[in-house]
Amino acid sequence: MAPEATRREFIAAGGAAIAATCVPAWAAAWQNPSAGDPARAEAAEAALSRAAALGATYADIRINRYRRESIATRERQVQNVSRSTSRGLGLRVLVNGAWGFAATNRVDPAAARAAAEQAVAIARANAALATRKVILADADKVVTTWTSAFKRDPFEVPLDAKIAFLMKLNEAALAVAGVSFINSQVLFVDEQKYFASSEGSRITQRLVRTYPQFSVTASDRASGDFQSRPVVDRAQLVGYEYVEDYPWLSDAEKAGHEVVEKLKAKPVAPGKYDIVVDPSQLFLAIHESVGHSTELDRAFGWEANMAGTSFLKPGDAGKLKFGAAIVNLVGDRTQPGGLATTGFDDEGVKSDRWPIVRDGIFVDWQTTRELAPLVGQARSHGCLHSDSWSSVPFPRMPNVSLQPAATAVSLDDLFSGIKRGLFVEGRGVSSIDQQRYNFQFGGAVIREITDGKLGAMVKDAAYQSRTPDFWASCDGIGGPSTYRLWGTSADGKGEPGQTNAVSHGCPPARFRQVTVLNTAAL
Amino acid sequence: MAVMLERGEALEICETVLAHAKAGGAEDASVSLQSSVLSHARFADNRISTSGRSEDLDITVTVWVGRRRGSVTGNDAGAGALKTLADEAVQIARVSPVHREYVPTLGPVTYPESRGFAAATADVDVAARAARLKLVLDACNDAKVTGAGFHSARASAIAAATANGNRRYFRSSEAGLSVTARSADGTGSGYYSADHFDLARLDTARIGQEAVGKAVRSREPKPIEPSTHPVILEPQAVADLLGFLTNSFDARTADEGRSPFSSKDGKTRVGEKLFNERLSIYSDPMHAEMPATPSTSDGIPAARLPIVTNGVLENLEYSRYWAQERKREPTAGPVNYIVESSQPAVSLDDMIKATNRGLLISRFWYVRLVDPRTLILTGLTRDGLWWIDKGRISHPVRNLRFNQSVLAMLAPWNVEAIGASRRLSPLMVPALKLGAFTFTSVSDAI
Repeated sequence: MAPEATRREFIAAGGAAIAATCVPAWAAAWQNPSAGDPARAEAAEAALSRAAALGATYADIRINRYRRESIATRERQVQNVSRSTSRGLGLRVLVNGAWGFAATNRVDPAAARAAAEQAVAIARANAALATRKVILADADKVVTTWTSAFKRDPFEVPLDAKIAFLMKLNEAALAVAGVSFINSQVLFVDEQKYFASSEGSRITQRLVRTYPQFSVTASDRASGDFQSRPVVDRAQLVGYEYVEDYPWLSDAEKAGHEVVEKLKAKPVAPGKYDIVVDPSQLFLAIHESVGHSTELDRAFGWEANMAGTSFLKPGDAGKLKFGAAIVNLVGDRTQPGGLATTGFDDEGVKSDRWPIVRDGIFVDWQTTRELAPLVGQARSHGCLHSDSWSSVPFPRMPNVSLQPAATAVSLDDLFSGIKRGLFVEGRGVSSIDQQRYNFQFGGAVIREITDGKLGAMVKDAAYQSRTPDFWASCDGIGGPSTYRLWGTSADGKGEPGQTNAVSHGCPPARFRQVTVLNTAAL
Repeated sequence: MAVMLERGEALEICETVLAHAKAGGAEDASVSLQSSVLSHARFADNRISTSGRSEDLDITVTVWVGRRRGSVTGNDAGAGALKTLADEAVQIARVSPVHREYVPTLGPVTYPESRGFAAATADVDVAARAARLKLVLDACNDAKVTGAGFHSARASAIAAATANGNRRYFRSSEAGLSVTARSADGTGSGYYSADHFDLARLDTARIGQEAVGKAVRSREPKPIEPSTHPVILEPQAVADLLGFLTNSFDARTADEGRSPFSSKDGKTRVGEKLFNERLSIYSDPMHAEMPATPSTSDGIPAARLPIVTNGVLENLEYSRYWAQERKREPTAGPVNYIVESSQPAVSLDDMIKATNRGLLISRFWYVRLVDPRTLILTGLTRDGLWWIDKGRISHPVRNLRFNQSVLAMLAPWNVEAIGASRRLSPLMVPALKLGAFTFTSVSDAI
């Protein structure tokens, strides 16, 4: 294996070994609660004590600061360099078994007390309509700090180095004859979170994420045709070392060649195919069909008005056949590099790793302190999250990952034995119904497999299936060396809508006799 | 309690940041500000689940130093924070490459007053809201269906100031309620939503009744073969698709050859009759039901802008930069999309009576763009789908996945009738009776 490929594989798998913890000097005060931000602690205590005085039986507060830096380019120019900071507090209270929430961008004791008064008033007004009183699972009292693993703080890297990286990336794609456009971006996120609860927990966390992404387009002006090759799902919970160590330029050049080939590719012939799905697309299939269907709030109907419910019922855990016996999936908020990895969730529960599908059987849910008791569980798996200090925390997906085969199964091994098949790579269109049965997924690059060998690219292909049928048709899963981590940075759910960054690790996998459409010929 | 900033307060913050930017060396600068308050209540399983209120302030300063650009956003209006914001933007500009798409910021411009603000939406009475939501929950309990929904009220003030003397300030508000009702046996589901800038105009009881009625009428659906069928789309279903069309009216993308409105040999399709001749789409900030901020994001005063007139693509959207490149004026919008028929509206009942065989569709879900060249979308029906036989609703049907081009859907030959337009922000959309719509598989989801 070439050194470059080794490095790529290493980083793609999460890069745990390289990610030594690094806390820059400026953040030291933030990291140490005893020496930390006195104004923040004062505001938190003011809110919690005011809520208690007004009758709240439980309260928690998040005082968070989010920093973002974004650099966007196209072709040979910088379109936008921007930074943002958002700081504020959000307080959640339980009064008479009903929730109330209030948030403000002003972080001081007076504003915190006013927020407590608003939150309690909202909870009281709604209590008559809260016919089931909220009961929370027990949680440990925790006073600690936690920082995500990263080697180089992206906010300490000079801007010109970041711009130079994107310009080189663009040149690598534009050097390919036939490439018309490239849009590229790096986004860096630094979340500094402080959690305090009426049960005594005080948790300070810092999370750093790095999001490089680009999309290459080839346009045939004479015919009016165009095609794109997006590479947009590589974000990880890591630092700037991801920009420096991963071979982005060869990815951009490869994307350039692929999009030019795609413009000339023949249309797919619709029908049933054996398909091998690369981690760059399979992660999204896992996200939609497994990640969302195993959210317990959906099974209880709490998302019925927006994201939908689930084909799984609250009593299904431990009984329902989800897929073939070789299929094993875990929920994991500890996975190195995972976008949903954290030390503690947004109600102070330590991050967890647990089986969701074991040997093809659905065995457990994603839970929070409110959800766990409703299925007889004493502890939460730690899935409460809010995307901002101003957002109500609610159940969000952890990293949900497909486990590799125990043996060394290669991509070629998965291709072998396929007479007529397709190999699907990269993000295409994804759409799934509100109970997570019927889905349609495309790919950025789709190639034929004929008699076990990879062949020409095809276009306008999408595969359609039904979640239990799809996972039952899985008869091959790659080995440990084929495992990769991909992720989505803006998974939408809830009302008001919130986004969640979440990763899914997986090897490539093979699925038999899946329906493939030609989307341009319907 | 902090509330939305008034004109004087908002513009004073903008002026302060501008002054810091100029003092720091900015040759041109713009500052924009948004002050907002959001109140919301969510319910599910016939009970309130989460509910809250949040207030925030966003201040963005963009500066140019030697045509180099820097932009910073913050949410702290403290004196020190405002100076830091401007200084950081200047620092970014100094180390950035030349911004090739720089257009000098706007000078003084007169804007019309915005119409879409109601004070009641900015200051929600939580007890009164709970009483209104009780009407919905009671209706669900009475009909033995399970109700879920979302009530929201947002009010914002936006202000902007530029180094060249532009000053603007607008207020806007929006209240909405959506309800999903599901039958106890799990075989029926209905959804209805409405919104208005004035909370007082939100008909809570009716929204609940519509959702409950659909849930009851959609129980025990039967499967049909997925193929191409005539359809009637209710306004909600039309709104679920048309966002993909309205997002495609950008002139630059069309000129660059990567839009459904790109034509061969580098031309665009402006002037072509692409849609049914009864169909028109325009933007109008002064629309009585669906008013919008009377300024584009570029600061151009918004005015009525025809986009599609009697089926002909009349205008694409030009930003200030792209207009300068193409040596023409930037467009005065769009800021909203009003989709209307040039002929008298046809009622939903009359559309059903005029249908021999076809489907009545309440809404779509998880709609995604499959092919940007032809605006082929995929997605699924949801929360109410019925078969029409000989002019009458015959029975509920299991949900279906579609793959359908929006351009083909609205083509001159495919639109058979157009209803009255209804507000579903940021659209005003009618029901449509269409000759053909393509479905590709059945969904088990209810």
